[in-house]
Amino acid sequence: MSKNTSKPSSNPAAAQFSRPLRLSVSQDLRGLLAKNIGHGILFSITFVSVLAVMAIFYFVVQESVPFIFKGGFRDSLSRVTEFLTSTAWYPQKEENPEYGALAIIVGSLYVTFCSLIIAVPIGVLAAVFLSDIAPFSVRQYCKPIIEILAAIPSVAYGVFAVMVVAPWMQKTLGFSTGTNAINASLILSVMALPTIISVAEDALSAIGREIREASYGLGATRAETMIKVVIPAAHSGIIAAVILGMMRAIGETMVVWMASGNSSRIPSPWWDLSQSVRTMTATIAGELGEVPKDTDHYYVLFAIGLLLLIFTFGLNMTSEFFMTRFKKKSRGL
Amino acid sequence: MLVKTDSNIIRKSESKGLKMESIPISKNSASKNGKIKLDSPVKQSPVQDTPISAERTIVRAEGFTFFYGSKKGVEDITMNIETGSVTAIIGPSGCGKSTFLRSINRMNDLIPQTRTEGLLSVGGQDVYHKSTNLVNLRQQVGMVFQRPNPFAKSIYDNVTYGPKLQGIRNKAKLDEIVEKCLIDAAIWEEVKDDLNKSALALSGGQQQRLCIARTLATKPKMVLMDEPCSALDPLATARIEDLIAALKGIYTIVVVTHNMQQAARVSDRTAFFCLGKLIEYGMTDRLFTNPRQKETEDYITGRFG
Amino acid sequence: MQVRIRQAWNHLFTILSSGSIVLLVAALLLFLIPMLRKGIPAVVFRGTVEFRKMQAELFDRGDTMALQKETEQTWQARQEIYTILDHFSRGIDTEKLTDEAKDLYRDYGQILRYQETPKEQYTELRGRAKEIRDHLLDAFESTDKDEIAAHLDAIEALRDEAAFSGTPVEKMFTMTGDFRKLIATVDLSKRDIFADELEVVKEELYNLFGPRPDEQTPQLAMKRFGATRWDVAEKHLTFLVWQEKWIPSDDGQTLVAKQVRRDDPLEGSFAGTELAPLFSLTEKILKDTMKPRFTLYWQYFIDDSTPGHYFGGVGPEVLGTLLLTLLAMCFSIPLGVISAAYLVEYAGDNLIVKIIRICINTLAGVPSIVYGLFGMAFFVAYITKQPGVLSASMTLALLVLPVIIRASEEAIRAVPQTYREAAMGLGAGKFRSFLTVTLPAAGPGILTGIILSLSRAAGETAPILFAGAAALAPIPDFGGKWWLQETRALSYGCYDITVGDKLAMMVPHKQFGMVMTLIILVLCLNVIAIVIRSRMSKKLRGM
Repeated sequence: MSKNTSKPSSNPAAAQFSRPLRLSVSQDLRGLLAKNIGHGILFSITFVSVLAVMAIFYFVVQESVPFIFKGGFRDSLSRVTEFLTSTAWYPQKEENPEYGALAIIVGSLYVTFCSLIIAVPIGVLAAVFLSDIAPFSVRQYCKPIIEILAAIPSVAYGVFAVMVVAPWMQKTLGFSTGTNAINASLILSVMALPTIISVAEDALSAIGREIREASYGLGATRAETMIKVVIPAAHSGIIAAVILGMMRAIGETMVVWMASGNSSRIPSPWWDLSQSVRTMTATIAGELGEVPKDTDHYYVLFAIGLLLLIFTFGLNMTSEFFMTRFKKKSRGL
Repeated sequence: MLVKTDSNIIRKSESKGLKMESIPISKNSASKNGKIKLDSPVKQSPVQDTPISAERTIVRAEGFTFFYGSKKGVEDITMNIETGSVTAIIGPSGCGKSTFLRSINRMNDLIPQTRTEGLLSVGGQDVYHKSTNLVNLRQQVGMVFQRPNPFAKSIYDNVTYGPKLQGIRNKAKLDEIVEKCLIDAAIWEEVKDDLNKSALALSGGQQQRLCIARTLATKPKMVLMDEPCSALDPLATARIEDLIAALKGIYTIVVVTHNMQQAARVSDRTAFFCLGKLIEYGMTDRLFTNPRQKETEDYITGRFG
Repeated sequence: MQVRIRQAWNHLFTILSSGSIVLLVAALLLFLIPMLRKGIPAVVFRGTVEFRKMQAELFDRGDTMALQKETEQTWQARQEIYTILDHFSRGIDTEKLTDEAKDLYRDYGQILRYQETPKEQYTELRGRAKEIRDHLLDAFESTDKDEIAAHLDAIEALRDEAAFSGTPVEKMFTMTGDFRKLIATVDLSKRDIFADELEVVKEELYNLFGPRPDEQTPQLAMKRFGATRWDVAEKHLTFLVWQEKWIPSDDGQTLVAKQVRRDDPLEGSFAGTELAPLFSLTEKILKDTMKPRFTLYWQYFIDDSTPGHYFGGVGPEVLGTLLLTLLAMCFSIPLGVISAAYLVEYAGDNLIVKIIRICINTLAGVPSIVYGLFGMAFFVAYITKQPGVLSASMTLALLVLPVIIRASEEAIRAVPQTYREAAMGLGAGKFRSFLTVTLPAAGPGILTGIILSLSRAAGETAPILFAGAAALAPIPDFGGKWWLQETRALSYGCYDITVGDKLAMMVPHKQFGMVMTLIILVLCLNVIAIVIRSRMSKKLRGM
């Protein structure tokens, strides 16, 4: 069909459109109304998340304030100081209950750091493997495995720690107790690994091929490329990954409750991992059930919760900061 | 990439449009409420060779400028499009062809922070006026995109998407529409056996013809095509060009293309854009054999672009 | 040379990297394999006749006729064992004998009074009976063989067939004879040891066989049946046959424990006694007494558990978990998907939207126990006024909300812009095009997110600790205000049954069974999500 068979359309009033191209007033108003109302509804539903966060902070603060601000200013100050620096945690004592949470705070940090010491090297190496070394098929299989590791409920890990790892530790390693810091740290590292691996792998992949090609083109081995070029380029992202893993470990409750032994003291030679420790999360979980409402003990547990909240919020913001820095850098490259 | 609501854009562009008294294009005060008198004299482009009468004009642009933020996509376009014709828009990359095309049916609304100046009217309605019925506009000014974009639905559902929006529910009627459109798009023979197959399973050329069929299903008056063949192989391209020729006269077609030979093959008139401005606009045969502007000649002979 | 070192480092690096993945896979297997292996016996095991009896009585299951027949057969087999036991105990259980003697004497007195014996005869006969009784009691209490013999002889002397025939006193004479026979075989000095050991033997036999037909049925369901599983039966058999003896160690400094059979001719407690054959006999015929059979107890997943988790299954926990998670989804899915739609399609780039995103990220980072605190401080305190299903689900919904928002956002963003363009080009308005084109295209991604958050909600314990989970709550009563009742849940139950519940320590298969159920549930959900995701990517490529 050539274009010569075309004739100008026989319809001279060619601009007639069968449907009006104008909105009637009512249509216009209806559209406006629907749009604004719809917008408003969607916005308010989304705003629920903001309300939720505010509510969480509000209520946790509300219930910890009676502990912090009891009595005058000096009183409160001494209470907070005791809370943060004393290791004497005897909230159930009749006469003079003591609320020294230092051992508990140290316990959380101790277990977290130990788990990171195990998880970060393994995690970063695994991320390197997945992003650069593994062939596509292997990667396809590894992703589900990592997802499944991440999906196992913490209470299942806890049961594993109590019923399989603890007896083994006692029997084979001769520890006096199987529920201790190393037990909890091991399991926590397994739980933090998927987070670290996936975020780190994303970071490494986002760096792109160009840098790698430049390095290989200059004769570097893969190890040198990764260690000297890629990982430094992705360092913000990897730091973000580690922080997220740390968040996971510090916020974990069931595993540490069941596996760490729950004895509130700082390990005596500090490197002795076979001693029991207690974490903030386990303290809250363990004691809140038996505490009557609106007592000092109740409030101090909320205070621990507030501390946890502040920690994790801070970690969250830090990881966000590193992530944005990473994104900016990788885009600017 | 965020999809921004168009109401904000309407407000912005509409306010700009109302402020256009300072722009000396048409003395038509009718553009105040968005309506353009159909028999009012059409401003012809200074670089146009043959004029188009008012009653044969379907799209009018007068001093139309489109802003992406502060950059100008197209600047001071004055041209008009004849009903029933095939108009090609050619030019080097980035010269504003797609911008202009997409302005006709307001597809540029999907891009945030844009505004317009000047007049762009379709069938007597200033399309950037707030009173424009966007739904009807887009259903009657259809668009075929650069890359085929069938929905992840069956062939049947793809084609019936538009009619269903128009409220047609009768299965018999829908079947009829599907068959007619697939025939018009020259793809019926290939897919008639299994209309429930996923549209994504078709080849690139088939997908593009499906998209054309989908566009035809809303019974448009105009079909805008944004480089419809750039993602296709030569065989598929030839079929689409045949299609355009067959649709001529029934529909008004505007084709943006990179390919000058294609423009020469299919169109009645050709417009040459460069760096956002309309350089020359005229009958295809004359423009390609005897271009009036130097830039046109340079482009056609391949000296740039 | 330099190059070789570098290449060596490179190889080392590669090995370490691959090694870490291997470590990961190993960790997963190291976890899954023991847990599943120890949990499977909760469902697949060799069950004994006691199990089938328990099923019939507590859950109304099984073929009653066949069961009756089996029960009779096993009792017949057990009878042998019981006979030996009884025979021996008579001699040891002097308390019983003493009581029996006292009862006989009392009965005799009553009979005399009933017969309205004249006073003199009454006194005389009764006096003689008393003498016999006292001799008997002394004989029973004494540990000196000669002394006992003397007492028994004295009783013989008082024997008067005529006066006492047909009376309870005749039974006293029978007891005398039996006792005489008994002490011939029993080392009386060991009687106390025998008494203690005998208790252990009786207890283990009780653990094995349950209460005897003539005994009163105990109240506790736990005590009503013997060993329901063959492995438990074998364990009790070991406790029955073997005892622990403390002997000096090689260097004579400490005592060490040594396992020795109770009928061991040199060191066993019951060596040479009448009880000795009981042990080897029990060993030999244990199968006949218990009739173990392969059992597939799939109802484990739906049965209620008896108090103390001793019998039964994890039904209530499964139901509780399903209830909590599905209810939580009802809250979080609409909230999450709509929020994601807003963020992708409608939201601008202003400060408020930035704040919203920060808040969503914060929600994602809050530790689960703080959610528990919040649940308690807000949902329970202000909304439902008491911990229950509703408050727990709302807490879970909040926990899971950021996951759904993130996954939905990703899915909606992944829909190519051209889809929206095509839809709008055909005249669909913003909302229409979202509903009819974008949402269906993002569907599988959103579904994956929902399934993953389902699995997360099912596994969480800390949020529901104080907001509505309980260890021994009854199944929620759907006729009444079930949303205000506390409920059991798999996650909480796993914790409680492992650490909190002392009774449950006796049934490790139950502990592992519950964890296994939870793990299987979570695994299934995740596998489904993975499959959907891979199907979806295939579909988008047009396959």
